[in-house]
Amino acid sequence: MSGRRSRNSAGIRGPHSALTDFLAANNISAQEIRDSYRQRLQRAEQDAAAVSEENGEGPATQAQGGDDEGQREDVQAESSAMAVERTRKRKRDQEDAIAKIKKGKESKKKAAKSKKKKRGSDDEGDSDFDFEDMYKKAKKLPGQLENCELCEKRFTVTSYSKAGPDGGLLCTSCGKEMTKEAKATAKAAKPVIRKARRKIESNRLDGITTRGPKTLQQLCIEKLAKHADDIEELGEMPDAIMNRLSEIFSKKRAINPTTVKLFLQPDMDTVVIHEAASLETEDFDQVFAVVPNITKLALRNCCQFKDTNVEYMIEKAKKLKDIQLLGANLVSNDKWVDLFIARGHDLRSLKLEWLDAAFDDQAVEALTTFCPNLERLKLERCKQLGVDSIDAIARLEKLEHLTLRFCKDVPRDRLVNLVSQIGTNLQTLCLENFIDSAIEDIEGEYQTESDDLLLDTIHNTCRHLTKLRFTENHECSDQGYVNLFTEWENPPLRYIDFNATRDVDNSNPDGPEDFPIGLASVGFKALMAHSGSRLEYLDVASCRHITHETFANIFDGVKQYPHLQEINMSFCPVVDTQIVAAIFRSCPKIKKVVTFGCFEVADVVVPRGIVLIGAPKAQDAIEQFGDVVMDFQKELMREMEKDRAMMARVVVPVMA
Amino acid sequence: MAQKLSEYVTLVSSDGFEFKVLRSAACIAGTIKKALDPSYGFREGSENRMKFENINGVILEKVCEYLYYNQKYAEARDVPDPEIPPELCLELLIAADYLDV
Repeated sequence: MSGRRSRNSAGIRGPHSALTDFLAANNISAQEIRDSYRQRLQRAEQDAAAVSEENGEGPATQAQGGDDEGQREDVQAESSAMAVERTRKRKRDQEDAIAKIKKGKESKKKAAKSKKKKRGSDDEGDSDFDFEDMYKKAKKLPGQLENCELCEKRFTVTSYSKAGPDGGLLCTSCGKEMTKEAKATAKAAKPVIRKARRKIESNRLDGITTRGPKTLQQLCIEKLAKHADDIEELGEMPDAIMNRLSEIFSKKRAINPTTVKLFLQPDMDTVVIHEAASLETEDFDQVFAVVPNITKLALRNCCQFKDTNVEYMIEKAKKLKDIQLLGANLVSNDKWVDLFIARGHDLRSLKLEWLDAAFDDQAVEALTTFCPNLERLKLERCKQLGVDSIDAIARLEKLEHLTLRFCKDVPRDRLVNLVSQIGTNLQTLCLENFIDSAIEDIEGEYQTESDDLLLDTIHNTCRHLTKLRFTENHECSDQGYVNLFTEWENPPLRYIDFNATRDVDNSNPDGPEDFPIGLASVGFKALMAHSGSRLEYLDVASCRHITHETFANIFDGVKQYPHLQEINMSFCPVVDTQIVAAIFRSCPKIKKVVTFGCFEVADVVVPRGIVLIGAPKAQDAIEQFGDVVMDFQKELMREMEKDRAMMARVVVPVMA
Repeated sequence: MAQKLSEYVTLVSSDGFEFKVLRSAACIAGTIKKALDPSYGFREGSENRMKFENINGVILEKVCEYLYYNQKYAEARDVPDPEIPPELCLELLIAADYLDV
């Protein structure tokens, strides 16, 4: 194609047939034949016009015709090769003029379309196109007079004249009208589709299924959020709705000094504002002034939360038990300590995230000294914290839920100490991004036992865990995970997240073969054997060393994991269609399957009510919603119906 | 389910407006469904009539509209949202919460 194009660059646009080449070689030009035919037509027309109209226009056209005649004679006089060249040039000029007349967008589009067609079809398409043109009445050139196609008025053609619906030309006023209409229809058609599409995709990634209508509550809440600024008061609302509204307002970044008042009522005990970035220092004081009985405070992105606010909080909010602050960077170390001294004894839950300017090890020291009753602690991305904080937290004996994500390195033995001190009571243990670096003075390349010491400690001390998260670690070996889950006295877990526990070595992506690092095949088997019966959430994303065989073995379509609702297997390259299909059968309660980067997953039939996210080969959407009711689902439904009927029968006599 | 269920049920607002609604549509609302289920033996179930002391006629009409809308689009995807007048939003929200729709 490109070769042909370059050959043609001198004259004709578009493809070129073998026949044309042959004719050209024999000094016969299809173009010439065509041109002469066109000229004959034009002349006949002009003659007719000259006869019918007896105004001054006649001679001009005649003269033009004469000109043509003269040219023609010239052409004949010259050598035939030159003639070909000449006619080609003229043809090109003529075409340009016509193209200019056609200028309107529509005609352009049409041209583009026919061009496409030409390219797609056989080479003769070129001449086809021209033949079609040929039998039409020739277009008037700029400067000539023409009758408007719509209003029949006579007007002078210019290069700006628009093409009418049937291919004729339009006068200026009709042309303007046309473009206006075209614009209006384009406007009406476009945004509706785009907006809907955008919305649908957004909803999908939020996990809102698009099947069926939304609930009335959902509709009302969305509408309310849309009119955020017009609401004067919310009145008494159930807590759940209040919370939902706050969430949606936050998502839309609609919480500002005015709207925040909607969520503050004197009789409330909980204030949750997920997006407080637009609130000023005074607004935070308002919270405690209006809601003195507050027991739970959660503010995220509270950039303007300052020392004075902490002071006011200490003074006003005497019942505070539960504090969650994200990004409160204007509170100084001393004020944190003051807060712990004043409210520490009652404090049950503390969650602090994204603090980099203040809140150091000393503050944590104060926290552990003055808040002995703390049950829930979450410290994530607090940049000042280091080893001393870990040691301090190890003294909080009443802790039940612990989540830590540090920015500094923590030696393994301190973590081990932490878990062995407080592990017995823990229900939640989340250790994110603890690389578990070995202590420097340990010698030797692989100290197997010490590498897995942390997992062993969890195995030996924890008895009440329901949620375990241990991520981004590339030191603990598969054997460590096996040891953790084999004969563990802890009851089955509800929530397990081991994402990105794998060996990190660019030159050897499969990791050491005889000694797998991270959660690999055997460890995964042990995990499912221990917790499969109760597991609700499983994340093994980026656990690259789990083999296909293991996945296929665990999810074989027969073994059942009755509580599993969500599974993330992203970037496990071995996961394929077969495994995903088996998961649908093995997990009757499954709602969401995430498979980003699993390139073997393709053409999965997703059952109704299940969302499959991230299948890269599903052409239509990143996310697929199940539409098919599968056989095993039908069975399940039948059984549920039966159960319900049984229930009803049992209930009737009791109620009657 | 020994008794025969009527095809329509009556919903009565606090100010006395009555709405006769298809049973299948009315039962989309969890609260109505439970109240009208004869196996629970409530009077609403035997009379096929339910009175709402806390919902007025304007709101109940909107609710009924929604119930039919919900029934119509139960199987469809990418459903168009119905029009809800902003001034009714809060009351409607409370009613929706109560009715569990």
